[in-house]
Amino acid sequence: MNFLRKKFSSYYFHPKIEFPERFDRREYAFIFFNEDKMHRHISFPSTISLETYLKMNAPAHAYYSSAYYRNPSAGTMKEKEWMGADLIFDLDADHLPDVENLSYEETLEKVKLELKKLVSFLTEDFGFSKKDLKIYFSGSRGYHCHVINKKVLSLDSQERREIVDYVTATGINLNGVMKERSIYKEKFRDKTFEIYPMEGGWRGRIAREIIKFFHEIKSMEREEALSKLMEIEGIGRRTAEEIYNALTDERIKRIEYGKIDQTTGFKRIAKPLIKKIAVSLHSETDEPVTTDVKRLIRLPGSLHGKTGLRVTKLEIDEIENFSPLRDAVVFGEKEIKIKLVKPINTKMMENEFNLEKGETKVPEYLAVFLIARKMATL
Amino acid sequence: MELFELAKYPFMKEAKEWVKNEKVSVEEILFDELYERARERGVRRVREAIEDGIVGEIPLVDEADCIMEIFSYPVARMIVISIENEYLLRRYALAEAKKAYLHMKIEPFEFIKKLSEEFGIEINGNEIHFLDYLKYAPTWDFKWKLVNRDLKNGYVKIEKNEIARLIQEAIRKKIYDELIYAFAPPEVKKVFKNEIMSIRSKFSFKNKEIKTGEISHQYFPPCIKNLINSAKAGLNIPHVGRFTLVTFLNSIGMDTEEILKIFSSSPDFNSEKTRYQIEHITGKISATIYSTPKCDTIRTWGLCYPDEFCKKVSHPLYYYRRRKK
Ligand code: SF4
Repeated sequence: MNFLRKKFSSYYFHPKIEFPERFDRREYAFIFFNEDKMHRHISFPSTISLETYLKMNAPAHAYYSSAYYRNPSAGTMKEKEWMGADLIFDLDADHLPDVENLSYEETLEKVKLELKKLVSFLTEDFGFSKKDLKIYFSGSRGYHCHVINKKVLSLDSQERREIVDYVTATGINLNGVMKERSIYKEKFRDKTFEIYPMEGGWRGRIAREIIKFFHEIKSMEREEALSKLMEIEGIGRRTAEEIYNALTDERIKRIEYGKIDQTTGFKRIAKPLIKKIAVSLHSETDEPVTTDVKRLIRLPGSLHGKTGLRVTKLEIDEIENFSPLRDAVVFGEKEIKIKLVKPINTKMMENEFNLEKGETKVPEYLAVFLIARKMATL
Repeated sequence: MELFELAKYPFMKEAKEWVKNEKVSVEEILFDELYERARERGVRRVREAIEDGIVGEIPLVDEADCIMEIFSYPVARMIVISIENEYLLRRYALAEAKKAYLHMKIEPFEFIKKLSEEFGIEINGNEIHFLDYLKYAPTWDFKWKLVNRDLKNGYVKIEKNEIARLIQEAIRKKIYDELIYAFAPPEVKKVFKNEIMSIRSKFSFKNKEIKTGEISHQYFPPCIKNLINSAKAGLNIPHVGRFTLVTFLNSIGMDTEEILKIFSSSPDFNSEKTRYQIEHITGKISATIYSTPKCDTIRTWGLCYPDEFCKKVSHPLYYYRRRKK
C-alpha cells in the first residue's frame, strides 16, 4: 500500500472530524490516492457511516457541499433540490499577487492578513458575532471562513455577491466616499474634500485610513515621506513635495476633523488605501467561492492529500498565533528514511530542519509533509 | 388604518380584512349596480398599469369614494388574472407598487415603519438590517450597492424615501406572488370580456413588434462570449457582468425570454427575479434603458479579454456590428 495512504488510514482510525450542520443533507465527494477522478454525489445517513467510509477508503481529499439539498446524492442539480447554503469565504494564496517567491510560512502569513481584514468586516460592518464565524485552516495554502448564522442560508447568489463586493470594495463609488466641496474665497474658488471618519461603512473606513496615512507621512523623514508618496500611482515628486510641505500640525488637525483642503493628488491617495483595506478574495477574473451556492469545501478534520496537514479549526483569537506547521500536524515523531529531491529549510513542530538533498532520516510528520508535497520520496 | 389609508394601500392585510368584513359576495361585486364604480375603476387600474406602467390617482373625497377605491383593487386583480399573461401580471404588480411608492413618499415616518412591519422589514430608527436590505434593494444601481452604503453592526443607514423604495419592491413581490397562484371566477371573463379581449389583442400585437432579427453568435466580442459561457456553466456572474451581458444582448435585439434562458443554469436561478432585473435594465419596466458599457468600463471591471479585433474598437457593440458586416 502506498505510504501516504497507509498514514492517512492510520489517522482515519482515530480522526477528529467536525461534522457539518445538517449533516445528512450534504453532498460529499472524495478523491483517492493515485486517482484523479472525483467521486461525487455521495451522502451519508449518519456520522458513523461517514467515519467508516473514511476508515475504509483513506481518501487523499474529502469534501462536502456548502449547500444542503433535499436529495444530496442525486446526480443533477435539479434532482438534488437546493435548500440553502452556508456563506463561505475562501482565502487562498493562489488569489494573492506577488507570492511566488515567498516560502510556505510567509505565504500563509499573507493570507492571514486577508483573513483578519475579512473578520473585521464581518464582525464590525456586518455585525456577525464571533460565534457566528468558524475559521479553518484549509490544509494547504489558505483559510476558510464559514458564517453559520441561520439567516444567511437562504441568501441567493446575487445577495452573496453584494457581500463579496462589499468586502472587496468592488463597485465602490469614490465620490460618495469623499465629498468634493467648492468654497468661494474672495475672488477665487477653492476645492476641498470632506471625509467622514465617524461614519460606518466604507466611508468611515477610508476616512480613518486616510487620517492614519497622513499621520504616518507626517512622522516620517522628508525623503522617506516623499518616496512613500511617490509610490502612489500618479504622484510625482512635485505633487509629493506639495503634499508634504503642506502638512502642518494645523492641517493634520483639520484632516482629523474630516476637512482636506489640498486637492492635488488627493484622490490618488484614496485608491491604494482602498486596496489596502479591501480583502483579496479572488483574482480579478475568477469567481469567489462565496457567491457559488453549490461549492464543495474540504471537510474539517480531514487530511489534505497534498500536504498531509489537517483541515483545522481555529478560534478567532487564535488567528495571530496559529501556525499550520505545528497546529495542523497529526503525525508522530517516529523516524523515517526518505530521499529528498532538493535541499530543504523549514520549521515544523518548532524544530528547524536544514536538510541536504539525498537520503536522510526525519520524523514521520515531516516525512508525510515532504512526500505529500512531492519534495521527497521513500 | 383609516378608510382613506386603506384606499391608498388596498393590498395590505388590513384592507383585505376590511373587505372580508363587509361580507360582499363576488357576485355582488361583479353584477350589482352598487359596485359599478368599483368595476370601472378596476378596469382603469389595469389599463393604466399596462399602458402607463403605473396606476394613476383619482380624487378621494368622501368615504364612498374610498370604499369604491378599495373594492376596485380585487376587481383589478381578477381582471389581470383572467388575461392570463405572465408579462402583464408582472407589469401590473409593479404598477401598483409604484403607485403606493408615490403615496409612501409623503407619509410620516411612523406610518412607513408600520407598513414595513407587514413585510417583515424591521426598521430601527434610521437603520435596517442588511439582510432585509439585500432582499429588496435594487443593487444593480450603483447607488444602492451595499459597498456604497453606511453599514455598521449589521445595519444599513437609510432615509425615509429609501425605505419607501424598499417597501415598493416588497409590495411588488407580494402582489406578484399572490397573483401568480390565484384563480379568478369564470364569470370575470364574461363581465369584462371586451376589456380583456382588447388588452390581449393589443398586447400580442405589441409582442410581435419586438423583432429578434438575425443574431450571429460567432461575432460576439470575447468579453460577451466569456460571460455567456460562465452563465451557461452555471457560474455566478458579477453584478456588473450581468449588466454588461443584458444590455448587450438587448441592444442586438434578443428578447427577455432568450436572455433569461442564458441565466437559467444557475443553481439558485430565480426566474422571476432575474426576469425582473432584465426587464428593469432593458427599460421594459423602468423609465431608463441602460446602455451597454464601453470597453474602458468593462476593462476596469476585469471582464475584458481582448482579442486582435478588439484593438480596432472601443465598444463591444461596435465589435459586433463591424464584424457582422
Ligand atoms: S476590448 Fe472591448 S470588446 Fe474587446 S473584450 Fe475588451 S471589452 Fe470586450
